[in-house]
Amino acid sequence: MKTSRRHILATSAAAGTLAALGGCEKLVSKASAKLGQTVPDSVKVPDGVEIDPAHHLLNRAGFGPWPGDVEHVRAVGETQWIDQQLDPNPIRDELCEMRAGRCQSQNELAGECFEFSKEFLRRDMARYALLRAVYSKRQLFEAMVGFWTDHLNINIEKGTCIYLKPADDRLVVRKHALGKFRDLIRASATSPAMLIYLDGNENARGKETDVPNENYGRELLELHTLGVDGGYTQHDVYEAARALTGWRVRTGFRKGSVYFDEKRHDDRAKTVLGKVIPAGGKEKDIEELVDIACRHPSTATHIATKLVRRFVSEDTPKSLIQKTAEVFRTSDGDIKQTVRAVLTSDEFKNSRGAKFKPPFRFVVSALRAVGADTHAHDPLIEYLTRMGQGVFQYPTPDGYPDKTSPWLGTLLWRWNFAFALSTGGVPSVETPLAKLLGAVGATGDAPEVKLFEHFTGHAPTDAQRAALVESIGEKPNGLETSKGLVSLILASPSFQRF
Amino acid sequence: MREPVGTRRGFLRQLVFGQLPFVENPGARTLVCIFLRGGADTLNMLVPVGDGDYYRNRPTLAIAAPSKGTKKDADAAIRIDDFYGLHPKMSPLEAVYKEGRLGFVQAVGSDNTSGSHFEAQDQIEHGESYRKNIGGGWLGRHLRSRIGGSDSPLAGVAIGPTLPESLRGAPAASALHSLDELQLPVSSGDPKAVSRALSKLYEAEVGIIGKQGKETLDLLRRVEQLRGKAYQPLAGAEYPADDFGAGLREIARITKANLGLEVACIDLGGWDTHFLQGIPLGGQAELISRLSRGLAAFDADLKGHRDRVTTVVMTEFGRRLYENGSTGTDHGRGFALMAMGGRIHGGKVHGEWPGLKEEPSLPGPGGMEVKIDYRSVLAEILSGAVGNARVAEVFPGFEPKKVGIVGA
Repeated sequence: MKTSRRHILATSAAAGTLAALGGCEKLVSKASAKLGQTVPDSVKVPDGVEIDPAHHLLNRAGFGPWPGDVEHVRAVGETQWIDQQLDPNPIRDELCEMRAGRCQSQNELAGECFEFSKEFLRRDMARYALLRAVYSKRQLFEAMVGFWTDHLNINIEKGTCIYLKPADDRLVVRKHALGKFRDLIRASATSPAMLIYLDGNENARGKETDVPNENYGRELLELHTLGVDGGYTQHDVYEAARALTGWRVRTGFRKGSVYFDEKRHDDRAKTVLGKVIPAGGKEKDIEELVDIACRHPSTATHIATKLVRRFVSEDTPKSLIQKTAEVFRTSDGDIKQTVRAVLTSDEFKNSRGAKFKPPFRFVVSALRAVGADTHAHDPLIEYLTRMGQGVFQYPTPDGYPDKTSPWLGTLLWRWNFAFALSTGGVPSVETPLAKLLGAVGATGDAPEVKLFEHFTGHAPTDAQRAALVESIGEKPNGLETSKGLVSLILASPSFQRF
Repeated sequence: MREPVGTRRGFLRQLVFGQLPFVENPGARTLVCIFLRGGADTLNMLVPVGDGDYYRNRPTLAIAAPSKGTKKDADAAIRIDDFYGLHPKMSPLEAVYKEGRLGFVQAVGSDNTSGSHFEAQDQIEHGESYRKNIGGGWLGRHLRSRIGGSDSPLAGVAIGPTLPESLRGAPAASALHSLDELQLPVSSGDPKAVSRALSKLYEAEVGIIGKQGKETLDLLRRVEQLRGKAYQPLAGAEYPADDFGAGLREIARITKANLGLEVACIDLGGWDTHFLQGIPLGGQAELISRLSRGLAAFDADLKGHRDRVTTVVMTEFGRRLYENGSTGTDHGRGFALMAMGGRIHGGKVHGEWPGLKEEPSLPGPGGMEVKIDYRSVLAEILSGAVGNARVAEVFPGFEPKKVGIVGA
C-alpha cells in the first residue's frame, strides 16, 4: 500500500498516454451510449419512506443501480432477477467487454505478463476491476469476484505477484466465482501468484531439518477454509504444510508456470484434522488435503458467516448462518446455491441500509448512479488508493475488512470525490448530469426530492430535505444548482449506507 | 494547596491517590504506538549474542557477535551489554539508548496460541485475553478513561488511510496522512455553505456514521489555521524519506502544534519473514533501518517535548527460535518490546531472559516463552508515562505486574 501511492503519483505524471488513447476511447464511449449504455430518457424513482426492495437488491447483489435498473428488477421480479444473475453466461455483456477488454494484462498467460512494467500492470489491473464493476450487466458475478478476491487475497506488491495476479484473477477467482468451492480452493492452491504470495514456492522438505514453510498451510486452514476457530491445531498446520511441499513456480523457460518437484516433497504419511494422507502420495497429497479442508464442517460455517456478513450485515444473524452453512454442506460447496440461500432470505430483505459502503463500492456505486462514462484512468484510480482500497493492494492475506469501523476515517475523501464527480472535476470521467436530471424529473419544482430518491432509493426525511433546500438558498433551479444537490446527496450519510 | 499540574510531585500524588482527576490540558501528554505488522523477529534486533543456542538455532540467519576489540564490524551486532547487542542497522538508536531514553522489555507477549497474525494483532489491539472479547480497542478505552481528555477528532490519530482496531471505540479519532490534505472540496464554491449543509445532513443521521461526519467537520475547522504552513523539524532530525518517516514527522508536527493529540498510531508492515529474512542486508535489515532512522529522527525532533511524548513499538508475536528450510522464520510467541521517551527508564533491557529452548508442552507455536503479559507493559506506560490514573478501565479484569520500564 505504501509503495503504490508513490507509484501512482509517478504514473499520473505520464498523463500523455491519456491523450494518445483518447481517440479510440471516445469511439467506444460513443458506440456504447448508442447501444444503450447510457441514462434512459425517463427513470421512475422510488418514493417510499423505506429503501425500495429492488434498489436494495441491486445495492447488495451488485454495485448499486444504474439509472433504469430498479424498474428493470421490478419488471422481472426479484427472485427471477437473482436466478438470472446466478447464471451469468447468457447475460449479454458486450458493452462492458468493449471497455474492459482493452486491458491487455487480462488476455495474457501467467508468464507473459513479465513483459509489462509494474506501473503498467498495476494500472491495467485496477482499471479492469473497476470497469467490470461499473459496466458489467453480470453484477452479482462481479460482486462475487470481489468477495473471493478478498477471501483469497493476494497483494501484488509482494515478489513477482504483480505479474502472476492477472492469471489468478482469471483462472481462479473469475473461473470459479459461482462454481464449486472445492474447485476454487484447489485452483488457488497451485495458482502461481498464491505460491509466491504465501511462500508455497519456498515450502520444501529441508535437507537437514524437516521444517516446512507453514505460511500457506496456515492460511489455507485459518482464512480460506475452516476459519480460525474451526478446530485445527498447530500440528495440523505443520502437517498440512508438509503435504504441500514441492510445488514451485518456474523462473526460466515457461516462466510463471507451476510444476511439482518430487525432490522437494515430503512424501511420508501426514495426519491432518484426524485424517491420514498416506505415504507415497506425491502430487496427489494436495488433492487429499484440499478435500479434507473443504469438506470439514467448520468450512461450511466459516464461508456462510463471511457470505452473510458480506451480503446481509456485520452483526451476522446466527439463524441465517446455520441455514446457509446447511446449504453449503448439502450441496457439497455449491457457491450458486449457497449465495441464493442468502439473497432470498428474510434476513436479507430486512437489512436495508444496514451496511457502510467500503470505498471501492462507494466509488463504483456513485459512477453507476450518475451513469458515468469513463475508461478508469489514473485520476479515478487515485481516489481508491487515497481512501485505502486500491485494487489488489491489501497487504495481508485476510483481505480488505468487511466492517464499518476501519472505513469511517474516509468520509472527507468521499466528500471530495462526490463534489468532483458532480461538477466534472474527475479527469477522465464524464457525468451526463443534464440528461439524468431530465430522466428522473428533477427539472421542475423540488429537484432535491427526485434526486435524493434516485440516489438513495427512498424519500428524504424532513431534516434531510431541509438541509438540501437550505443549501440551494436563493439560487434558481437549473443545472448548476442541481450539481450542488447531487454533490451533497452523494456525500450524505444515506449514500454511504447500503 | 494543590500541587501545580504537571510537576513530578503532583504526578506522584496522583499515582498514590489514584482517584484524582487528571487535569493537564488535553494533549499535554501524547502516546505514540508503532505497530510492526507481521510478527517481527526481535531476536535479530535485540540480539542475545551471549547465548550459544542462538547461533546453533540459526546457522545462516544469526547476527554475528561484536568483535572483542575496539574496531567496529559493520555486519556485527552493536554491543550494549555483556549479553545483548543491537542489529547493526539500529546504529541510529545507539545514542538514544545509551542516553537512557530508549529501553527494551524482553519476552513480552500475549496468551494467544493461535499463531494467527490477525487474531494476535486483534487481541493485542483490543487489549484483552485470548478469546475474551471485552469490546473496543485499548487506546479507545484509554481515551475514554482519561478524565479531562477531549473529544477532539485529533485526540486519536492514525497515520494512514484507515483506523486500527486499537482505536476502536475512541470518543473521536481520525485517519490521515498529513494535516495539509484535510480540506473540503475546493470545487464547491462556498465551503462554508457546504460545511453547513453537510453538518445538517450528518446531524440528521443517528449512529456512528453521523457521529463520524460531525467529527470530520470539526477536524476541518481545527486545522484551518495550520494548513499550508510549512513544518520545519529541528536540526538533526532527519526522517527517512518514506511514508513511515513522513508519518512520524507529521505526528511531531501535530504534537508541537498543541491540537490536543493524545494518541497517535502508525504501522510499519512487512515483518512476516518466512522466506529469505536476510542477514545483515535483505528484507528485515531494510525494515530495521527504516524503523531506527525514523525513531532517531523523531527523538531528535522532539527535543524539549520528550517528557510529554512516549513512544511504544510492538508487534503481534515474535518468531521461532530456529530458522526454517527457506532461510526465514515462522510464527513464534514472545518478542522484545521497545519504548522511547523522557519518562522511559531506558538504557536497559528489562525482563528476564527466558532462554532459547522451545518448550514443546506449551500450547501454540513454539518460540520464545512469554514471560511478561503485554498489558503489564502498556499499563505501566499509561499510568507512569502518559498519566492515566484509571488504567483498570483500560484493561478490565487484568492485574498488571511491575515491569520497570517507566521511572527510575
